[in-house]
Amino acid sequence: MPEAIFVVHLDDYQGFVVEKRYPSTLSLNEKALNLVYYEHEKEKATNLKFSDIEGMRVVSFAERTHPGWVVCFVLGADEDYETEDNNMAGMARLILELMSEVPDAVNLREILGNESVLNEPNEEQKMADIFFTPSSALLLERLEIEGVEKAAKLSIWLQTQLQTDTIELHEIVEPLMQSGVIKVELLGKTGETVFLVKDIFGYRAPPVKSIMKAMEADPEMGKKYKQLVSSFFSPPTGKGYNPTLPLDDPNSPLLEDREKMSRLLSKSLPYMVLECLREGPQEIGNIAQKTALPLETVQSILWSFESDRVAAQLDEYGIWVLVSDPVIESFMPEFILPAISKKLADKELAPETAIRHLELLIEEWGEICD
Amino acid sequence: MKFVIRGVYILGQQSEMIFSKEYAKSEHKDSLIEFLVNLTQFIKAVELDGNVESMGVSSWRIFYSLEDAFTFVFIADKADDSAQIKGKISDLIVKFMKDYAPLAIANQPLEGLDAIVDEVAVTLVKVAILGFAGVGKTTTLHLLRGETLPLVHDPTIGVSIKKLPTEVENANIVLWDLAGQSRFSILWAKMIANAQVVVIVTDSTLENVLRSKKLVTLVSEEVPNARVIGIANKQDLPTALTPERVGQILSIPTYELVAIDISYRERLIQIIRKSILEGKADKVT
Repeated sequence: MPEAIFVVHLDDYQGFVVEKRYPSTLSLNEKALNLVYYEHEKEKATNLKFSDIEGMRVVSFAERTHPGWVVCFVLGADEDYETEDNNMAGMARLILELMSEVPDAVNLREILGNESVLNEPNEEQKMADIFFTPSSALLLERLEIEGVEKAAKLSIWLQTQLQTDTIELHEIVEPLMQSGVIKVELLGKTGETVFLVKDIFGYRAPPVKSIMKAMEADPEMGKKYKQLVSSFFSPPTGKGYNPTLPLDDPNSPLLEDREKMSRLLSKSLPYMVLECLREGPQEIGNIAQKTALPLETVQSILWSFESDRVAAQLDEYGIWVLVSDPVIESFMPEFILPAISKKLADKELAPETAIRHLELLIEEWGEICD
Repeated sequence: MKFVIRGVYILGQQSEMIFSKEYAKSEHKDSLIEFLVNLTQFIKAVELDGNVESMGVSSWRIFYSLEDAFTFVFIADKADDSAQIKGKISDLIVKFMKDYAPLAIANQPLEGLDAIVDEVAVTLVKVAILGFAGVGKTTTLHLLRGETLPLVHDPTIGVSIKKLPTEVENANIVLWDLAGQSRFSILWAKMIANAQVVVIVTDSTLENVLRSKKLVTLVSEEVPNARVIGIANKQDLPTALTPERVGQILSIPTYELVAIDISYRERLIQIIRKSILEGKADKVT
């Protein structure tokens, strides 16, 4: 286990600020902080980096999502960095996230002692980033029509849509690539081609698993919980929530809601609480224990869930339950096949490109048969 | 820095002045106080609902707010950032009401309030010192801080950040001395972010001045609103180009310097002071 941890932030005015340190007796100088920061900057290195700085064995962690921040672990002389790397990355990720959300609640001693970690974003979170990034969502809509397109053409199309000459296509494309929704390949000598290999659908699902769990544990409570969920999805008056309504209007409240849900999935701390609630009704203290998040943080996340009608409190039982479960699912975009076929017939698409697209779809969705 | 506060005043229930601090000299202090007393009467007659309001008077902007029996007034320049000053005044109100309001009501001394007001009103100005290795950036930093020069040259690692011992225009000047070695050049763009003044130091040789043109380009791209000044250092050496020639090549206002000569200190501080003021003037126009 590391002997010490410190969190350093490059403030534009004050320079390197050691925001947290454990133990408090840990002494650091400007040169060491400079070298830690420089080590990450020189290679644009994110995640873990081992360096020997002024006789200190330091494993540092930086992430693009938290520019200017570095979490550092000071190792003992005999400590092996490689056996601990996943743990340290997870702890550092949690520290960075907490520093940006609730800096006062960050307790390095506890995090180190409990080895509390935040996992890397999973597939669902990566897909949520698409709806959370409006230009990426726009590009996905385009690919849902085109199926396959040259990167240069997409770039021009986006410039027209966004009415700007300066778009960073690689930034817009990144959430789509990271989540495996598209594949970008260099075919022939004519530049990059973008293939749609997955489509995604984001909506609020009824929390069936959680209701079943509640029913098993306490049928009376389960019944009340079910009523609560029913009143959201199919209220006695009004239309209730329906994610399959046509979305002709870009300002549709449903689209706005989808963006809100994506934001929730994309942010790590709320996602930890959400995952906990998906398991079943929980007391707040239980959530704090399972997630290793400070109680106040869990409380404020639950309040925001409540205002978004994602969760609710069953007062008489002192528990929190999921009312609607924000989910993003992927599916095979078979609807693009006629578009590809037409493009091929109209000679807008080279046969090799169409074949490659089919190969990619098979790789993604085909079943392996012996 | 987005603002310079010229004065902070707190008035009590009877419109008596219970605290005042001026950060800039005023020739009309008596009439200002009379005006503030009248303003307090006016404020009490209107519904502020705890908000911070402001009014323009000549080249100043007067920000005011009322909390219980106390009136809080900040005087700033018209060009200053209103939102930030409103935030500052709100911060001061919270701190004052928590720790000093009971003392003021009981006519007790307000010990420590001066420091609290300084914390709120004094701002930071970032001055970045940029240049290639060995041109005298750290020596310039020592000169500005009035420090004796180290006998052995110790190249800067990354960045060395120090404050100017004296305030300039009610602001703490934070000096960022950036390492000039080429391996650290990847840090320059990030390190000059939010600098209000960038000092490009050259050793006044033709080769170094020509190379330093790149630095002028970098600064204009990264911090287009910063004031950029050139320093033609090592003017005591025979190979030195004149400051005028250096300025022509770099296309920025350039000043002579012998950084190892302490007599240049005050002149250099005045140059930085002028740049800060010009930066503010630019915002008005």
